[in-house]
Amino acid sequence: MLNHSGDGTARFQRVIVVSLIGLALGFLVVVQLRSQAVVARTLAAQDDTSVALLINDLNRANNQLIQQAAALSQQETQLRQALTAGGADAQAISKELQTLRAVTGGVPVHGPGLQIRIMGPIMDFELQDLLNSLRTAGGEAFSLNGSRMIGSTPIVSQRNTLMIGGHAVSAPLVLLVIGDPEQLEPAADLSASSLQTRVQVDIQRKSDLTITEVINARPLIYAQLGR
Amino acid sequence: MTVLASVSLATFLVTGLAATQFRSQPLASSNRLARDEALRQSVNQLEDQNRALKARVQALQNEVKAREDESARRSSAVQQVKALLDEQRAIAGLTALHGPGLTIQLRDGVDPNDPADRSLGWTIHYQDLQDIVSLLWASGAEAVTVNGQRVVPTTSFHYAGVNILINNANRLTGPYTVTALGDPSTLANGVGDPDQLAELKSRNRIYRLGLSWLRSTRLSVPAYDATFLVKNAQPLG
Repeated sequence: MLNHSGDGTARFQRVIVVSLIGLALGFLVVVQLRSQAVVARTLAAQDDTSVALLINDLNRANNQLIQQAAALSQQETQLRQALTAGGADAQAISKELQTLRAVTGGVPVHGPGLQIRIMGPIMDFELQDLLNSLRTAGGEAFSLNGSRMIGSTPIVSQRNTLMIGGHAVSAPLVLLVIGDPEQLEPAADLSASSLQTRVQVDIQRKSDLTITEVINARPLIYAQLGR
Repeated sequence: MTVLASVSLATFLVTGLAATQFRSQPLASSNRLARDEALRQSVNQLEDQNRALKARVQALQNEVKAREDESARRSSAVQQVKALLDEQRAIAGLTALHGPGLTIQLRDGVDPNDPADRSLGWTIHYQDLQDIVSLLWASGAEAVTVNGQRVVPTTSFHYAGVNILINNANRLTGPYTVTALGDPSTLANGVGDPDQLAELKSRNRIYRLGLSWLRSTRLSVPAYDATFLVKNAQPLG
Protein backbone atom coordinates (compact mmCIF):
# COMPACT_ATOMS: atom_id res chain seq x y z
CA MET A 1 0.00 0.00 0.00
CA LEU A 2 2.87 2.32 0.97
CA ASN A 3 4.86 1.36 -2.13
CA HIS A 4 1.83 1.94 -4.29
CA SER A 5 1.44 5.42 -2.76
CA GLY A 6 5.19 6.18 -3.29
CA ASP A 7 4.94 5.17 -6.96
CA GLY A 8 1.95 7.44 -7.32
CA THR A 9 3.81 10.41 -5.82
CA ALA A 10 6.82 9.87 -8.10
CA ARG A 11 4.55 9.60 -11.15
CA PHE A 12 2.75 12.75 -10.06
CA GLN A 13 6.05 14.64 -9.71
CA ARG A 14 7.16 13.51 -13.17
CA VAL A 15 3.85 14.63 -14.65
CA ILE A 16 4.30 18.04 -12.98
CA VAL A 17 7.85 18.34 -14.39
CA VAL A 18 6.72 17.37 -17.88
CA SER A 19 3.78 19.76 -17.64
CA LEU A 20 6.06 22.63 -16.60
CA ILE A 21 8.42 21.95 -19.48
CA GLY A 22 5.42 21.71 -21.80
CA LEU A 23 4.23 25.09 -20.54
CA ALA A 24 7.68 26.60 -21.12
CA LEU A 25 7.76 25.07 -24.58
CA GLY A 26 4.32 26.42 -25.36
CA PHE A 27 5.34 29.85 -24.09
CA LEU A 28 8.39 29.92 -26.31
CA VAL A 29 6.37 28.83 -29.34
CA VAL A 30 3.86 31.59 -28.67
CA VAL A 31 6.63 34.16 -28.21
CA GLN A 32 8.19 32.97 -31.45
CA LEU A 33 4.90 33.31 -33.37
CA ARG A 34 3.91 36.58 -31.77
CA SER A 35 7.33 38.12 -32.31
CA GLN A 36 6.97 37.37 -36.01
CA ALA A 37 3.55 39.01 -36.02
CA VAL A 38 4.56 42.27 -34.38
CA VAL A 39 8.21 42.50 -35.29
CA ALA A 40 7.69 44.41 -38.50
CA ARG A 41 6.13 47.48 -36.87
CA THR A 42 8.28 47.91 -33.79
CA LEU A 43 10.83 50.61 -34.54
CA ALA A 44 13.82 48.60 -33.36
CA ALA A 45 13.12 45.80 -35.82
CA GLN A 46 12.36 47.88 -38.89
CA ASP A 47 14.53 47.88 -41.97
CA ASP A 48 16.50 51.06 -42.71
CA THR A 49 14.31 51.98 -45.70
CA SER A 50 11.18 52.02 -43.53
CA VAL A 51 12.94 54.13 -40.91
CA ALA A 52 14.26 56.55 -43.56
CA LEU A 53 10.77 56.96 -45.07
CA LEU A 54 9.37 57.55 -41.59
CA ILE A 55 11.99 60.25 -40.96
CA ASN A 56 11.01 61.90 -44.24
CA ASP A 57 7.31 61.92 -43.28
CA LEU A 58 8.06 63.19 -39.77
CA ASN A 59 10.17 66.04 -41.15
CA ARG A 60 7.39 67.04 -43.52
CA ALA A 61 4.73 66.83 -40.78
CA ASN A 62 6.85 68.83 -38.33
CA ASN A 63 7.43 71.55 -40.93
CA GLN A 64 3.68 71.78 -41.47
CA LEU A 65 3.08 71.97 -37.71
CA ILE A 66 5.67 74.79 -37.45
CA GLN A 67 3.79 76.69 -40.17
CA GLN A 68 0.47 76.06 -38.40
CA ALA A 69 1.89 77.38 -35.12
CA ALA A 70 3.22 80.51 -36.88
CA ALA A 71 -0.18 81.16 -38.52
CA LEU A 72 -2.03 80.69 -35.21
CA SER A 73 0.41 82.95 -33.41
CA GLN A 74 -0.14 85.68 -36.01
CA GLN A 75 -3.92 85.23 -35.72
CA GLU A 76 -3.76 85.51 -31.94
CA THR A 77 -1.66 88.68 -32.14
CA GLN A 78 -4.12 90.25 -34.58
CA LEU A 79 -7.11 89.45 -32.34
CA ARG A 80 -5.29 90.64 -29.20
CA GLN A 81 -4.27 93.95 -30.79
CA ALA A 82 -7.86 94.66 -31.82
CA LEU A 83 -9.04 93.90 -28.28
CA THR A 84 -6.31 96.11 -26.77
CA ALA A 85 -7.46 98.94 -29.05
CA GLY A 86 -10.94 98.51 -27.59
CA GLY A 87 -12.56 96.80 -30.60
CA ALA A 88 -12.91 93.35 -32.13
CA ASP A 89 -11.37 92.03 -35.32
CA ALA A 90 -14.33 90.59 -37.22
CA GLN A 91 -12.20 90.23 -40.34
CA ALA A 92 -9.76 87.79 -38.70
CA ILE A 93 -12.67 85.63 -37.52
CA SER A 94 -14.36 85.76 -40.95
CA LYS A 95 -11.09 84.70 -42.57
CA GLU A 96 -10.86 81.66 -40.31
CA LEU A 97 -14.48 80.82 -41.10
CA GLN A 98 -13.73 80.91 -44.84
CA THR A 99 -10.66 78.73 -44.35
CA LEU A 100 -12.72 76.09 -42.56
CA ARG A 101 -15.46 76.27 -45.19
CA ALA A 102 -12.83 75.64 -47.89
CA VAL A 103 -11.48 72.67 -45.91
CA THR A 104 -14.93 71.13 -45.35
CA GLY A 105 -15.97 71.71 -48.96
CA GLY A 106 -18.63 74.24 -47.98
CA VAL A 107 -17.66 76.94 -50.50
CA PRO A 108 -16.55 77.02 -54.15
CA VAL A 109 -12.79 77.57 -54.42
CA HIS A 110 -10.17 78.35 -57.01
CA GLY A 111 -6.40 78.27 -57.18
CA PRO A 112 -3.41 76.62 -58.81
CA GLY A 113 -3.20 72.87 -59.05
CA LEU A 114 -3.42 69.84 -61.28
CA GLN A 115 -5.96 68.38 -63.65
CA ILE A 116 -5.58 64.61 -63.79
CA ARG A 117 -7.44 62.75 -66.52
CA ILE A 118 -7.76 58.99 -66.08
CA MET A 119 -8.98 57.46 -69.32
CA GLY A 120 -10.16 54.09 -68.03
CA PRO A 121 -11.95 52.56 -65.04
CA ILE A 122 -10.14 52.34 -61.72
CA MET A 123 -10.97 50.71 -58.41
CA ASP A 124 -11.79 52.46 -55.14
CA PHE A 125 -8.40 51.66 -53.57
CA GLU A 126 -6.57 53.11 -56.56
CA LEU A 127 -8.44 56.40 -56.23
CA GLN A 128 -7.91 56.35 -52.43
CA ASP A 129 -4.17 55.87 -52.95
CA LEU A 130 -4.04 58.77 -55.41
CA LEU A 131 -5.97 61.04 -53.01
CA ASN A 132 -3.80 59.95 -50.07
CA SER A 133 -0.64 60.88 -51.99
CA LEU A 134 -2.05 64.22 -53.12
CA ARG A 135 -3.29 65.11 -49.62
CA THR A 136 0.09 64.23 -48.15
CA ALA A 137 1.65 66.51 -50.80
CA GLY A 138 -0.56 69.40 -49.67
CA GLY A 139 -3.69 69.01 -51.84
CA GLU A 140 -6.31 71.38 -50.42
CA ALA A 141 -9.47 70.87 -52.49
CA PHE A 142 -10.60 68.01 -54.74
CA SER A 143 -13.35 67.23 -57.20
CA LEU A 144 -13.89 64.21 -59.41
CA ASN A 145 -16.23 64.42 -62.40
CA GLY A 146 -18.09 67.25 -60.73
CA SER A 147 -18.26 65.75 -57.22
CA ARG A 148 -16.44 67.60 -54.43
CA MET A 149 -14.44 65.27 -52.22
CA ILE A 150 -13.14 65.62 -48.66
CA GLY A 151 -11.76 63.05 -46.22
CA SER A 152 -15.25 61.94 -45.18
CA THR A 153 -16.49 61.34 -48.72
CA PRO A 154 -17.18 57.59 -49.05
CA ILE A 155 -15.30 56.03 -51.97
CA VAL A 156 -16.31 52.45 -52.73
CA SER A 157 -16.36 50.06 -55.67
CA GLN A 158 -19.65 48.20 -56.15
CA ARG A 159 -19.58 45.52 -58.81
CA ASN A 160 -16.78 47.30 -60.70
CA THR A 161 -18.59 50.65 -60.49
CA LEU A 162 -16.78 53.44 -58.67
CA MET A 163 -19.10 55.24 -56.25
CA ILE A 164 -18.22 58.68 -54.87
CA GLY A 165 -20.46 59.83 -52.03
CA GLY A 166 -23.13 57.39 -53.21
CA HIS A 167 -22.98 58.48 -56.88
CA ALA A 168 -21.62 56.31 -59.68
CA VAL A 169 -18.80 57.82 -61.73
CA SER A 170 -17.34 56.39 -64.92
CA ALA A 171 -14.30 56.94 -67.12
CA PRO A 172 -12.92 59.24 -68.30
CA LEU A 173 -12.31 60.48 -64.77
CA VAL A 174 -11.29 64.11 -64.36
CA LEU A 175 -9.75 64.83 -60.99
CA LEU A 176 -9.13 68.46 -60.08
CA VAL A 177 -6.85 69.17 -57.15
CA ILE A 178 -5.93 72.62 -55.83
CA GLY A 179 -2.56 73.02 -54.14
CA ASP A 180 1.05 73.87 -54.93
CA PRO A 181 1.70 72.19 -58.33
CA GLU A 182 5.40 71.85 -57.48
CA GLN A 183 4.50 69.61 -54.55
CA LEU A 184 1.52 67.87 -56.14
CA GLU A 185 3.08 66.84 -59.44
CA PRO A 186 5.70 64.37 -58.10
CA ALA A 187 3.00 62.71 -55.95
CA ALA A 188 0.63 62.49 -58.93
CA ASP A 189 3.41 61.11 -61.16
CA LEU A 190 4.19 58.39 -58.63
CA SER A 191 0.56 57.28 -58.32
CA ALA A 192 0.04 57.53 -62.08
CA SER A 193 3.02 55.28 -62.76
CA SER A 194 1.20 52.33 -61.20
CA LEU A 195 -2.11 53.17 -62.90
CA GLN A 196 -0.46 53.66 -66.30
CA THR A 197 0.26 49.96 -66.56
CA ARG A 198 -3.37 49.54 -67.64
CA VAL A 199 -5.02 52.97 -68.13
CA GLN A 200 -3.85 56.17 -69.76
CA VAL A 201 -3.30 59.01 -67.28
CA ASP A 202 -2.73 62.61 -68.30
CA ILE A 203 -1.50 65.16 -65.73
CA GLN A 204 -1.58 68.87 -66.46
CA ARG A 205 -0.53 71.79 -64.30
CA LYS A 206 -3.08 74.59 -64.12
CA SER A 207 -2.40 78.11 -62.89
CA ASP A 208 -6.02 78.62 -61.81
CA LEU A 209 -8.52 75.81 -61.38
CA THR A 210 -12.07 76.34 -60.23
CA ILE A 211 -14.06 73.88 -58.15
CA THR A 212 -17.64 75.09 -57.95
CA GLU A 213 -19.23 72.03 -56.34
CA VAL A 214 -19.84 72.19 -52.61
CA ILE A 215 -20.66 69.67 -49.90
CA ASN A 216 -23.65 70.34 -47.69
CA ALA A 217 -22.55 69.38 -44.21
CA ARG A 218 -24.80 66.86 -42.50
CA PRO A 219 -26.20 68.13 -39.23
CA LEU A 220 -24.94 66.39 -36.11
CA ILE A 221 -27.86 64.35 -34.80
CA TYR A 222 -26.22 61.79 -32.53
CA ALA A 223 -22.92 63.53 -31.72
CA GLN A 224 -22.92 66.16 -28.97
CA LEU A 225 -20.28 68.78 -28.28
CA GLY A 226 -17.72 67.98 -25.59
CA ARG A 227 -16.05 64.81 -24.39
CA MET B 1 11.08 5.16 -18.80
CA THR B 2 8.47 6.60 -21.15
CA VAL B 3 8.04 9.63 -18.91
CA LEU B 4 11.79 10.18 -18.69
CA ALA B 5 12.09 9.94 -22.46
CA SER B 6 9.34 12.53 -22.77
CA VAL B 7 11.12 14.82 -20.30
CA SER B 8 14.38 14.48 -22.24
CA LEU B 9 12.69 15.15 -25.55
CA ALA B 10 10.84 18.17 -24.19
CA THR B 11 14.04 19.59 -22.65
CA PHE B 12 15.83 19.10 -25.96
CA LEU B 13 13.08 20.93 -27.82
CA VAL B 14 13.02 23.81 -25.33
CA THR B 15 16.78 24.23 -25.57
CA GLY B 16 16.67 24.05 -29.34
CA LEU B 17 13.92 26.60 -29.60
CA ALA B 18 15.63 28.94 -27.16
CA ALA B 19 18.79 28.63 -29.23
CA THR B 20 16.82 29.39 -32.40
CA GLN B 21 15.31 32.42 -30.73
CA PHE B 22 18.77 33.79 -29.89
CA ARG B 23 20.26 32.87 -33.25
CA SER B 24 17.48 34.71 -35.06
CA GLN B 25 19.09 37.97 -33.91
CA PRO B 26 21.21 38.95 -36.93
CA LEU B 27 24.86 39.55 -36.39
CA ALA B 28 25.76 43.06 -37.42
CA SER B 29 28.95 45.00 -37.80
CA SER B 30 29.57 47.84 -35.37
CA ASN B 31 29.21 50.41 -38.21
CA ARG B 32 25.84 49.09 -39.15
CA LEU B 33 24.74 49.01 -35.53
CA ALA B 34 25.82 52.62 -35.10
CA ARG B 35 23.97 53.69 -38.26
CA ASP B 36 20.80 51.83 -37.22
CA GLU B 37 20.98 53.39 -33.78
CA ALA B 38 21.42 56.87 -35.27
CA LEU B 39 18.40 56.41 -37.55
CA ARG B 40 16.20 55.24 -34.70
CA GLN B 41 17.39 58.07 -32.48
CA SER B 42 16.39 60.50 -35.26
CA VAL B 43 12.89 58.99 -35.31
CA ASN B 44 12.59 59.29 -31.54
CA GLN B 45 13.76 62.92 -31.61
CA LEU B 46 11.43 63.81 -34.49
CA GLU B 47 8.49 62.12 -32.75
CA ASP B 48 9.28 64.06 -29.56
CA GLN B 49 9.38 67.26 -31.62
CA ASN B 50 6.11 66.25 -33.31
CA ARG B 51 4.38 65.85 -29.92
CA ALA B 52 5.77 69.16 -28.66
CA LEU B 53 4.65 70.98 -31.82
CA LYS B 54 1.15 69.55 -31.55
CA ALA B 55 0.96 70.67 -27.92
CA ARG B 56 2.11 74.14 -29.04
CA VAL B 57 -0.52 74.24 -31.81
CA GLN B 58 -3.26 73.18 -29.38
CA ALA B 59 -2.20 75.80 -26.83
CA LEU B 60 -2.27 78.49 -29.53
CA GLN B 61 -5.69 77.27 -30.69
CA ASN B 62 -6.97 77.72 -27.15
CA GLU B 63 -5.51 81.23 -26.99
CA VAL B 64 -7.08 82.17 -30.33
CA LYS B 65 -10.42 80.79 -29.17
CA ALA B 66 -10.22 82.80 -25.94
CA ARG B 67 -9.57 86.02 -27.94
CA GLU B 68 -12.47 85.18 -30.26
CA ASP B 69 -14.80 84.60 -27.30
CA GLU B 70 -13.74 87.96 -25.87
CA SER B 71 -14.29 89.63 -29.28
CA ALA B 72 -17.76 88.09 -29.52
CA ARG B 73 -18.67 89.52 -26.11
CA ARG B 74 -17.80 93.00 -27.39
CA SER B 75 -19.54 92.95 -30.78
CA SER B 76 -22.85 91.44 -31.87
CA ALA B 77 -21.58 91.27 -35.48
CA VAL B 78 -18.60 89.22 -34.34
CA GLN B 79 -20.91 87.10 -32.21
CA GLN B 80 -22.85 86.02 -35.31
CA VAL B 81 -19.68 85.12 -37.23
CA LYS B 82 -18.34 83.34 -34.16
CA ALA B 83 -21.46 81.13 -33.98
CA LEU B 84 -20.91 80.10 -37.62
CA LEU B 85 -17.23 79.51 -36.89
CA ASP B 86 -18.01 77.22 -33.96
CA GLU B 87 -20.37 75.25 -36.20
CA GLN B 88 -17.65 74.87 -38.86
CA ARG B 89 -15.14 73.81 -36.22
CA ALA B 90 -17.42 70.96 -35.19
CA ILE B 91 -17.90 69.92 -38.84
CA ALA B 92 -14.15 70.07 -39.51
CA GLY B 93 -13.26 67.90 -36.50
CA LEU B 94 -11.73 70.65 -34.37
CA THR B 95 -14.14 69.96 -31.50
CA ALA B 96 -14.31 66.95 -29.20
CA LEU B 97 -17.63 65.12 -29.45
CA HIS B 98 -19.51 62.39 -27.63
CA GLY B 99 -22.55 60.26 -28.29
CA PRO B 100 -23.73 56.78 -29.24
CA GLY B 101 -21.86 54.82 -31.85
CA LEU B 102 -19.82 51.81 -32.78
CA THR B 103 -16.32 50.59 -31.92
CA ILE B 104 -14.52 48.27 -34.32
CA GLN B 105 -11.44 46.34 -33.31
CA LEU B 106 -8.89 44.35 -35.28
CA ARG B 107 -5.24 43.38 -35.09
CA ASP B 108 -2.48 41.69 -37.02
CA GLY B 109 -3.13 37.96 -37.20
CA VAL B 110 -0.79 35.01 -37.16
CA ASP B 111 1.82 34.55 -39.88
CA PRO B 112 1.04 31.14 -41.41
CA ASN B 113 4.74 30.71 -42.27
CA ASP B 114 3.55 29.10 -45.48
CA PRO B 115 5.98 29.51 -48.41
CA ALA B 116 3.00 29.19 -50.75
CA ASP B 117 1.22 32.12 -49.02
CA ARG B 118 3.03 35.36 -49.70
CA SER B 119 -0.14 37.48 -49.53
CA LEU B 120 0.66 39.15 -46.17
CA GLY B 121 -3.04 38.71 -45.55
CA TRP B 122 -2.33 38.23 -41.85
CA THR B 123 -1.26 41.87 -41.42
CA ILE B 124 -3.57 44.86 -41.24
CA HIS B 125 -2.89 47.28 -44.08
CA TYR B 126 -3.73 50.98 -44.19
CA GLN B 127 -6.25 50.18 -46.92
CA ASP B 128 -8.15 47.97 -44.45
CA LEU B 129 -8.47 50.86 -42.01
CA GLN B 130 -9.41 53.29 -44.77
CA ASP B 131 -12.05 50.86 -46.10
CA ILE B 132 -13.59 50.60 -42.63
CA VAL B 133 -13.57 54.39 -42.23
CA SER B 134 -15.10 54.88 -45.69
CA LEU B 135 -17.84 52.34 -44.91
CA LEU B 136 -18.60 54.09 -41.62
CA TRP B 137 -18.97 57.47 -43.39
CA ALA B 138 -21.26 55.78 -45.93
CA SER B 139 -23.28 54.33 -43.02
CA GLY B 140 -23.94 57.77 -41.55
CA ALA B 141 -21.04 58.26 -39.13
CA GLU B 142 -20.82 61.81 -37.79
CA ALA B 143 -17.27 61.55 -36.45
CA VAL B 144 -14.58 58.87 -36.75
CA THR B 145 -11.27 58.17 -35.02
CA VAL B 146 -8.61 55.54 -35.64
CA ASN B 147 -6.57 54.70 -32.53
CA GLY B 148 -7.70 58.04 -31.10
CA GLN B 149 -6.68 60.05 -34.17
CA ARG B 150 -9.59 62.06 -35.52
CA VAL B 151 -10.33 61.55 -39.22
CA VAL B 152 -10.72 65.06 -40.68
CA PRO B 153 -11.28 66.41 -44.22
CA THR B 154 -7.52 66.46 -44.89
CA THR B 155 -6.72 63.04 -43.40
CA SER B 156 -4.63 60.69 -45.50
CA PHE B 157 -3.63 57.11 -44.75
CA HIS B 158 -0.39 55.83 -46.17
CA TYR B 159 2.66 53.66 -45.69
CA ALA B 160 6.12 54.88 -44.78
CA GLY B 161 7.89 51.56 -45.26
CA VAL B 162 6.03 49.19 -42.95
CA ASN B 163 4.55 52.02 -40.85
CA ILE B 164 0.92 53.03 -41.22
CA LEU B 165 0.74 56.82 -40.93
CA ILE B 166 -2.30 59.05 -40.47
CA ASN B 167 -2.65 62.83 -40.18
CA ASN B 168 0.65 64.46 -39.18
CA ALA B 169 2.87 61.36 -39.37
CA ASN B 170 1.11 59.61 -36.48
CA ARG B 171 2.35 56.04 -36.51
CA LEU B 172 -0.47 53.54 -36.01
CA THR B 173 0.29 50.19 -34.45
CA GLY B 174 -2.05 47.36 -33.59
CA PRO B 175 -4.38 46.53 -32.08
CA TYR B 176 -6.46 48.98 -34.10
CA THR B 177 -9.61 50.61 -32.77
CA VAL B 178 -11.93 52.56 -35.05
CA THR B 179 -14.58 54.59 -33.25
CA ALA B 180 -17.58 56.13 -34.98
CA LEU B 181 -20.33 58.33 -33.57
CA GLY B 182 -23.77 57.89 -35.09
CA ASP B 183 -26.77 55.58 -34.94
CA PRO B 184 -25.29 52.34 -33.54
CA SER B 185 -27.78 50.11 -35.39
CA THR B 186 -27.20 51.72 -38.77
CA LEU B 187 -23.43 51.66 -38.31
CA ALA B 188 -23.51 47.99 -37.18
CA ASN B 189 -25.75 47.04 -40.10
CA GLY B 190 -23.29 48.70 -42.48
CA VAL B 191 -20.28 46.86 -41.08
CA GLY B 192 -22.24 43.59 -40.76
CA ASP B 193 -23.42 43.65 -44.39
CA PRO B 194 -21.81 40.55 -45.97
CA ASP B 195 -21.21 42.50 -49.19
CA GLN B 196 -19.09 45.09 -47.36
CA LEU B 197 -15.45 44.55 -46.31
CA ALA B 198 -15.76 41.09 -47.88
CA GLU B 199 -12.02 40.66 -48.45
CA LEU B 200 -11.14 41.76 -44.90
CA LYS B 201 -13.79 39.45 -43.42
CA SER B 202 -12.43 36.56 -45.46
CA ARG B 203 -8.89 37.24 -44.19
CA ASN B 204 -10.29 37.54 -40.67
CA ARG B 205 -11.57 33.96 -40.93
CA ILE B 206 -8.27 32.65 -42.31
CA TYR B 207 -5.73 34.61 -40.25
CA ARG B 208 -7.74 35.45 -37.09
CA LEU B 209 -7.51 39.24 -37.30
CA GLY B 210 -9.86 39.63 -34.34
CA LEU B 211 -12.32 41.74 -36.33
CA SER B 212 -15.22 42.61 -34.06
CA TRP B 213 -17.58 45.48 -33.43
CA LEU B 214 -19.56 46.70 -30.46
CA ARG B 215 -22.44 49.15 -30.19
CA SER B 216 -22.24 51.72 -27.41
CA THR B 217 -24.61 54.26 -25.99
CA ARG B 218 -21.80 56.68 -25.13
CA LEU B 219 -18.47 57.07 -26.84
CA SER B 220 -16.20 60.08 -27.05
CA VAL B 221 -13.86 61.28 -29.77
CA PRO B 222 -11.11 63.88 -29.30
CA ALA B 223 -10.66 66.96 -31.46
CA TYR B 224 -8.11 66.88 -34.28
CA ASP B 225 -4.74 67.58 -32.67
CA ALA B 226 -3.60 70.16 -35.23
CA THR B 227 -5.22 72.72 -37.50
CA PHE B 228 -5.61 73.45 -41.23
CA LEU B 229 -3.47 75.67 -43.43
CA VAL B 230 -5.02 76.73 -46.71
CA LYS B 231 -2.54 78.56 -48.93
CA ASN B 232 -3.80 77.93 -52.44
CA ALA B 233 -7.56 77.26 -52.41
CA GLN B 234 -9.23 80.66 -52.26
CA PRO B 235 -13.01 81.03 -51.87
CA LEU B 236 -14.67 82.21 -55.09
CA GLY B 237 -16.22 85.64 -55.15
